[in-house]
Amino acid sequence: MIGNQLALLKREVWEHRSIYVTPLAIASIVTLGTLAMLMFAGGFAKQLDIAIFGAQNIAGDAERQAALTGFFVGTSGVFLLAAMILTIFYTLDSLYAERKDKSILFWRSMPVTDAEAVVSKLITAVVVIPLATVATVIATHIVNLIVTSVWVSAKGADAGHLIWGSVPLIDNWVAALIVTLASAIWMSPFIGWFLFVSAYTKRSPLLMAFMPLILIPIIEFIFLRSSFFADAVFSRKGMIPLFRGMDMEGFFDEDSLHISEETVSLLAHLDVVRFLTSPSMWGGVIVCALFVTAAIYVRRYRDES
Amino acid sequence: MTSLVNARGVSKHFGAVRAVDDVSFEIEQGKILGLIGPNGAGKTTLLKAVLGLTDCEGELSVLGLDPFKQRKELLQNICFIADVAVLPRWIRVTQLLEFVESVHPNFSRKRAENFLSQTKVRSDAKVRELSKGMVTQLHLSIIMSIDAKLLVLDEPTLGLDIIFRKEFYGNLLNDYFDEERTILITTHQVEEIENLLTDIMFINDGKILLDAPMESLADSYVELMASGEDAIKARGLGPIAEHEMFGKSVLLFEGVSRDNLEGLGELRTPSVADLFVAKVKGARK
Repeated sequence: MIGNQLALLKREVWEHRSIYVTPLAIASIVTLGTLAMLMFAGGFAKQLDIAIFGAQNIAGDAERQAALTGFFVGTSGVFLLAAMILTIFYTLDSLYAERKDKSILFWRSMPVTDAEAVVSKLITAVVVIPLATVATVIATHIVNLIVTSVWVSAKGADAGHLIWGSVPLIDNWVAALIVTLASAIWMSPFIGWFLFVSAYTKRSPLLMAFMPLILIPIIEFIFLRSSFFADAVFSRKGMIPLFRGMDMEGFFDEDSLHISEETVSLLAHLDVVRFLTSPSMWGGVIVCALFVTAAIYVRRYRDES
Repeated sequence: MTSLVNARGVSKHFGAVRAVDDVSFEIEQGKILGLIGPNGAGKTTLLKAVLGLTDCEGELSVLGLDPFKQRKELLQNICFIADVAVLPRWIRVTQLLEFVESVHPNFSRKRAENFLSQTKVRSDAKVRELSKGMVTQLHLSIIMSIDAKLLVLDEPTLGLDIIFRKEFYGNLLNDYFDEERTILITTHQVEEIENLLTDIMFINDGKILLDAPMESLADSYVELMASGEDAIKARGLGPIAEHEMFGKSVLLFEGVSRDNLEGLGELRTPSVADLFVAKVKGARK
């Protein structure tokens, strides 16, 4: 069972190379961006000297941490966005392509149940893509920190103190992992819906997946003057119940220019218990399970000839 | 003899169309059964029911299992080629072998690599880079390396040229088949497989028209080529089919002793193709 599942997951990555190509492409862009910025900054020698002097002598650990965390959060955000788009295309293709090229007849000639096959696609979307994303985020951070350290050292500053001494790596990476996985679980009703459309539709899964999401709210509004569907579906995007209330004033306390250790820690802003006990999250998981069950049913019972 | 497939009153309908209509048959171990039928006769539906790919009414047991409910167990001991063009086009040969090795307990990768080394299929090639004949060789190499009790082939050589077709059946007989194994095969090209079959089954409009061992065909069916008076006399014996050839009448008899026809003309055992045409036309009357 587990052996089968591993083989099936591997198979998904073989077929959908974008699972690792997409984050790698983002990683290259981020790294090139860093290089370009460093080269550009190199042109302002005087200002740079003052900045480095300031960073080394005036700013405290927390300020340096905040600056690096800012960079981390920014880059992680780009990866997360790319992972979301990737997941949409992956899930819509996963059960459609095998029917289109008829290879479903081969896959179904192997001793693998339809449930195992569909679940492997769900795991790819909810676990494999997030893990691949976070792994690339970590690698990107390390590469960028090394590049920056070399550059800072070349300018005569102490990279060990300035960068490695200040960087809350573990905090940032664990936070990235939690946010990425939690986002995938939070968005799982969409993943389930896309898998179902992919298993069900005879043509253009992208259109078939999004048309109801656009048409149902319009129809609902015309006939019922309500927006129940739109509220349930679209407001999901913004309100993932993972974050503590953020005290923005404490973050930018201009008078003292002081940033506390706690505000800088990303993990301190995450509330995993709140997420895991959120009825909204579990409701979404149930919707996902229903769609996945329907996808398994369709793959098993529909005659493809 | 153990029977591997046991069907009692199996039916499958799509709306009002009865694709398979109350069919009963058995397939014994060690047989090569040819399932012959015109397009839309219900062959593929019947095979899908045997493979557990579609549900059906009636009693159907394959290797003692309910194929639809126990498909996974079943597929460990049964393999099939549904059509030659179904291998995923994006996959590499090595990936394909690795995948089958990890999900199939009865697959020998070594054996498959051995078969492939006799072909032009490179192990680092993607399926989309291979010709249709090579894809078939690849598929067959995998199937022949699975230690299965029953092999099901649905039009396995469709669209292949004559060289690949001959080689396909040659490999199947020489490298794969033995008394332990059983093969169920459907094809349009009856002439090509008739001498490798041990048993034959005709199906038309979802019903079985004939289910017999090949060697019994010579006892039950005889073809007479006659002309003039002899032909008229022969017609009185109730042929099941008749056609003209070189100005002579060719009459096909079922269950009429050769002794009764002796002296009326030239006698021979009909080819499967002729028999098939006669049976289908007879059923349509």
